[in-house]
Amino acid sequence: MKKEKTVLTTLVVAVLICSAACIAFSATALAEEDRVAATDGDRIVRSVGGEVGTSDWRYPAPFTFYPRGPGYVRMSMLFDTLTWKDANGVIPALANGWKVSDDGKTWTFYLNKNARWHDGGQFTADDVKFTFDYMKDYEGAFTWFEAIDYVDSVEAVDDYTVIISLNEPMASFLVDIAGNMPILPEHIWSGVSDPDKFTGDDAVIGTGPMKLVEYNSAEGFYHYEANYDYYNGKLLVDEFITLGVSNAAASLKTGDVDEATFWGSAVDAVNEFVGDDDFEIITGPSFWVLQVIFNCDADGGYPTNNVTFRRAIAYGIGREEIVEQKLHGGGVAANTGILHPDAIWYNPDCEDYAHNATKANAMLDSLGFTEKVDGIRQYPSGADKSGDLEFVLYTTGKYLREGELIQAQLEEIGIKIELTPSDWTTIDSYLRAADFDMVISGHGGIANPQIMRIPDWPASTYQSEEYASTFAEQEVTLDIDDRKELVNQLQDLVAEDLPVYTLYHPYIWCVYNPDVLDTWFYTRDGISIGIPIELNKLIFLARYGDANENGKINMQDVTQIERMILELDDPTDMADATQNGKINMQDVTHIELTILGRAPIRCE
Amino acid sequence: MNTINKLAYYLVILFIILSINFFLPRAMPGDPLAYLTGENPDMPTRMTEEEREMRLAEYGLDKPLLEQYLNYMVGLSRGDLGWSIYYNNHVLEEILVRLKWTLLLTGTSTVIYMLLGIFLGAESAWARGKTKDIGCLTSILTISSFPSFFLGTLFVIFFAFKLGLFPLGGAKTIGVSYANPLEETLDILHHLVLPVATLIIAHIGGTYLLMRNSMLSVLGADYILSARAKGLSERYIRNRHAIKNALLPVVTMAALMVGFMIMGTIFVEKVFTYPGIGLLLYESVLRRDYPLIQGIFLFIAISVVTANFIADMVCIWLDPRVRDE
Repeated sequence: MKKEKTVLTTLVVAVLICSAACIAFSATALAEEDRVAATDGDRIVRSVGGEVGTSDWRYPAPFTFYPRGPGYVRMSMLFDTLTWKDANGVIPALANGWKVSDDGKTWTFYLNKNARWHDGGQFTADDVKFTFDYMKDYEGAFTWFEAIDYVDSVEAVDDYTVIISLNEPMASFLVDIAGNMPILPEHIWSGVSDPDKFTGDDAVIGTGPMKLVEYNSAEGFYHYEANYDYYNGKLLVDEFITLGVSNAAASLKTGDVDEATFWGSAVDAVNEFVGDDDFEIITGPSFWVLQVIFNCDADGGYPTNNVTFRRAIAYGIGREEIVEQKLHGGGVAANTGILHPDAIWYNPDCEDYAHNATKANAMLDSLGFTEKVDGIRQYPSGADKSGDLEFVLYTTGKYLREGELIQAQLEEIGIKIELTPSDWTTIDSYLRAADFDMVISGHGGIANPQIMRIPDWPASTYQSEEYASTFAEQEVTLDIDDRKELVNQLQDLVAEDLPVYTLYHPYIWCVYNPDVLDTWFYTRDGISIGIPIELNKLIFLARYGDANENGKINMQDVTQIERMILELDDPTDMADATQNGKINMQDVTHIELTILGRAPIRCE
Repeated sequence: MNTINKLAYYLVILFIILSINFFLPRAMPGDPLAYLTGENPDMPTRMTEEEREMRLAEYGLDKPLLEQYLNYMVGLSRGDLGWSIYYNNHVLEEILVRLKWTLLLTGTSTVIYMLLGIFLGAESAWARGKTKDIGCLTSILTISSFPSFFLGTLFVIFFAFKLGLFPLGGAKTIGVSYANPLEETLDILHHLVLPVATLIIAHIGGTYLLMRNSMLSVLGADYILSARAKGLSERYIRNRHAIKNALLPVVTMAALMVGFMIMGTIFVEKVFTYPGIGLLLYESVLRRDYPLIQGIFLFIAISVVTANFIADMVCIWLDPRVRDE
């Protein structure tokens, strides 16, 4: 009897406490805003890192970040590379300047003498040599982008000069290796034998403008603080946080975040900010493409392994309708040759296969698919298959709408599509086994021709001698016009052979509160090897955007001036100046840093 | 003796569950490496067969299934849940950082909705057919029939976005250093209100209905009649005789609901950006992160089995006849 009473009393008390608590939180709701404001003496920038559950990109150490763009940029806040990119192209980072030998195989880098590790240690040429050796010793551990095979040896000439010798010329060296590989502190990593499991505080000591305060995988947030000793410019912010939210637009409006990225079909959300004085919007190229992958396998791929058949399908698909219906105008019809129209490598002359059902029908007729039952074409007698001309089109839930539109469009030319939504892991297993007809899938990186390497590129069933040899040749062609010509040929080949048929390139938008930070920009050809997102660490540096306000010269202006003088696009020519007496980036950096009152840099 | 038997019985159940947990994820097409190369990547990457084999070997996934199974069981017996392939970290650590939030969320809402459901159900049945009963029945059934994600979204739009009374999501404010633990607790509770309210509304209907029905059948029983005949007060009959007996099926259901609660919070976690186990499970299944899936299932299985065990004990306490059976 008594026992039961106690239980009952406990329950009642519990309920009371709960309801009291509920009232208390509501009351503290208002008080809390004051509290946050009170601690806001620091300049904090909060950026949306994705939806909840997908805003985690793993620990931002060089060997543990999730090998995707968002993972890389979270690491790049902490670790610098020899070169970097701004809105106009390649700029100096840990290297003040560089030169390349005539044969393109020997690169000399002059390093910044003011760079320090977050733990206070001095950065020297030995760290660079160590990093390259380490990457070679643990080949495969740096899962992000593997190109270390090109490097033969690295020599530290003195404390601030390194010579990197390549096995063969590499056209994209300055971006894909020098501008991509994070330089590690030798005094920490020399004792690490399992890099991909090394995640302590020491694992995130770099030379970058930010230091890691906290990373939380459950909540998917990264909390950084400014590295005030940064060698490459004064910091504009004290803290930087990227976090997961469920609705980016709502979080921007309530002030929970200061910046968010929107993509493609989110154009409607972006339009809500148009005309809102509290926010600014910049539009960028996403360097991303959605495409239909065909099974070109000679044995199992009938009839998609026939190029005329693929062309018929291309004519049957109306890109414009898909852009309109799915993206509401938040993108453009794609270049059939894969590479993005905003990339310097873009070939504008690729066949665009404008929607033309008559042409498509004629092609299908010519292949013998003439007989129709209920409007659906039949396999010709004697073919490997019989009955309805019917295909399975795999897609994830994200692109179901595109799948439905294609289904309807192809039905008009007598092809029946069985639209099969599945999860990506399942689809991937079919792709690998070449056990599919067609798959809708997308990828980024299309500012950089190197992504067209097979088998990295998803058209893994495509086999062409010509394609393979052209690709290999452009990899080692240093002259920019010659390389452009080869890359144009590659795009023409894709447009003719159609191992994939591209659908659209979405836009990407960055919406931000300029009162908190107004230096956001999109990187020329994407960050590092082509990451289209806006989280370039240069946004945190005063020299970007400061000059226009205070009249001081800044790096952006200088780069612009220098490029105008030199009238060239190719950053490799920047090292020319010391030889031919023209102004170059080294001189410019020197001048600018002197003007800004920082220690001058001398290059040998 | 009975208790020991029960314990053994639960151990066998746990073993069977563990085995299913091991084999089920592996029956899905695809493997964990597919997610490492990713859907819609910003950079297309594809592993060569060699690299695939190297990675599979690294995670012990190249061995025969039976050997993997044995390794898993041996590891488990040592308390080692394995290494998450996606997170590149100990499974246990990844689960524990989320488990506290899930327990807080589901625990708080379970306690509240159970008590509220039982109380209202009993009241309703006692006042059967009266305005009070019908009002209760109609209003609870109406609000409970909203799907939880829809209700959650409404709450977010109204209370968080429009009125600004509560945060849009998250378990606590990110990037703030607290002056004292009380401030932190208040911040956490403040974030908890909307998701808990959503879960309570979503789940109260079942408990309420079950309690009401169970109470109604109890009220028609002979012993209630004899209690009345003995001249006991109405309040005494209701609390001592009716509610206590009517609780039996509700307690059993509560135990079953524990598992559903953890899985069922996925939507609520998604809507409120709440960093719990449900979301982790969802992502892990998509990623085919076998060790992590197994680990999460293990925790869910353990909590369900524990809850059932506790429910059995409570039933014995509530109804001594169960013990004698």
